[in-house]
Amino acid sequence: MPEEKLKEVVSDLITKIRDKDHNVRAKARDNAGKVGAPAVKPLVAVITDEDFEVARAAKRALWKIVRHAGRPGADGERKAVVAELIPLLRDSQPVPVRREVMWMISEIAGDEAVAAVAAHLSDKELREDARMVLERLPGRGSLRALRRALRTVPQEFKINIAQSLRARGVRVRGFPCQKLVPTRKTDLKPVG
Amino acid sequence: MDKQNKINRRQFLGTLGAAVGAPYIISSGVLAEAGRPGANEKLTTALIGSGGRGMGLMNEIRRSEIADSIECVAACDVDENRLAGAARSLARGSRKPVTPYRDYRYVLERKDIDTVVIATPDHWHGVQTVHSAECGKHIYVEKPACCTIEEGKAMVRAANENKVTVQVGSQGRSQREAYLSHRYLVNGNIGHIDKVWCFHYNSPEDNNPVPDSDPPAELDWDMWLGPLRWRPYNRKYHHGVFRWIMESGGGQIRDRGAHVMSCTKWWMGADDTGPVTIEATGTSPRRGLWDSAVTMHVTYTFKDPDWVLIWDQETGNAPPAEERKPGEARIVRPGYGAVYHGSKDTFTHWGGDGGTWAERKAREWVPPPGAKDVRKSPGHWEDWFEGIKTGKKTIMNIEAAVGVANLCVLGNLSFILGRKLHWDQAKQEIVGDEEARRLMGRPQRHPYHL
Repeated sequence: MPEEKLKEVVSDLITKIRDKDHNVRAKARDNAGKVGAPAVKPLVAVITDEDFEVARAAKRALWKIVRHAGRPGADGERKAVVAELIPLLRDSQPVPVRREVMWMISEIAGDEAVAAVAAHLSDKELREDARMVLERLPGRGSLRALRRALRTVPQEFKINIAQSLRARGVRVRGFPCQKLVPTRKTDLKPVG
Repeated sequence: MDKQNKINRRQFLGTLGAAVGAPYIISSGVLAEAGRPGANEKLTTALIGSGGRGMGLMNEIRRSEIADSIECVAACDVDENRLAGAARSLARGSRKPVTPYRDYRYVLERKDIDTVVIATPDHWHGVQTVHSAECGKHIYVEKPACCTIEEGKAMVRAANENKVTVQVGSQGRSQREAYLSHRYLVNGNIGHIDKVWCFHYNSPEDNNPVPDSDPPAELDWDMWLGPLRWRPYNRKYHHGVFRWIMESGGGQIRDRGAHVMSCTKWWMGADDTGPVTIEATGTSPRRGLWDSAVTMHVTYTFKDPDWVLIWDQETGNAPPAEERKPGEARIVRPGYGAVYHGSKDTFTHWGGDGGTWAERKAREWVPPPGAKDVRKSPGHWEDWFEGIKTGKKTIMNIEAAVGVANLCVLGNLSFILGRKLHWDQAKQEIVGDEEARRLMGRPQRHPYHL
């Protein structure tokens, strides 16, 4: 598509995603997939819109793009979308944006995204999402990042990393699984 | 205690049985390794998820044939208000105190609890079933069995490795008219069936969206989310409306689909089979938090034998309900069911869950000599109890339930991805689509994982 036309399409998408009428927003969202990579950054700018329904429409339009780009035989589109997503993991983006972008990356990216995701393992607010995304990303890069994290993350988070490594089939010494250990108490008393 | 001196519960009860008429609650700490209680033993249970559905299930137990054979001694919920109410209510029907817990894992630690009834939102079913099985509890878990393909595999593995009995709450299989339908179809009354059309009305849209907010004081939001990735609280997540969130409830297809398609797989003799392709289209809600499909049309193609299963979720598509004569069970939920297309005739049923209504021709059909009979459930709870006692597969055993849930999961995956999927039943995996393959599972938050 010629650049001018593309700009027009993206601009039209953003205008409609910001529309006050939810029917207009929904239609734009549903058709966003084919607009692809050029719409990623403009849509991310709307994810934090103060109208929560506009923000939601933008987020879901982005997911449409991710899932359209992830279809078989569309490697070029997939790479282009991933290339737009990775820079959005920089600290300058708000936490909710980075959290959402990491999960988008988890569906369609590979080794190229590992470093950007792994950087969040030192961020208390996002490290659990980063761990889970690395667990899902296939390939040696994510596995290496998880192994490295087991040495470098704070002690209290190592058990989470161990969980991901085990899920990836790695034998981990120490850090016993906590899944059956109850922790959440109620003050209510037995009845009867 | 060494193995030679260990007395198991059946042996213990055997010595008591003649002298004591009333059943006793015996700690499962003295239960034999095989974990199968005797015919007259009273089992203990805990309700995990004590909201509307959970309490409904406990009331069903009270009305069932197993009512005198099971005692509820604990309730769990992440909502303190619900938990308090449930404990009070359950204690009224129990000779033992009912202990309330926020964290179901306290129940799993208790050696005196033999069984659990899981009625939490769907995103907890897999994890809680696996954990319960690993702790040796027999399980009744609400449908759908699982939310992801990988959860389903883990549930089957955990149940089998730990030799526990699992009944999944697709009660349609235990209904009288389901039995009559099944018997009618397997005897060839409509000929070779090559298409089953399941009809259902739309999922709702959230027409009054609200912004995220702080969770109410009585709710442990972190524990409600459990294995799901963290997100801010929004009151449109719960309680019953979790059903309309794709991650937690999966919409009508994972709710009623797990009923209607359960009947289909059973009656078609297809519990051990799966589709080769799945193709979904539909519409998403125009606004609000809920994101499951409003309308949805899924085509599942089966091979060897060849047949097609269609999930048609669109209000107004249901065939008119059959008129019933005075004294006959009235069709109270005519908005969903299925039409079976055979080479000689068609057959319709409505409902498919705790209410299943068969077309008259199946109800009035008199089997000729030599006709095939099919399994007849004594009741969903009774069947579960029989499974616990004997080790016999339940009518909605975990393998069958996961097979049905996989249909729902794959339908939703095809819908959200916007493309046809290819499924390898033998390997239990999606083929030829890397993104879809990744979505066969989802990483879970620590420590709420399989």
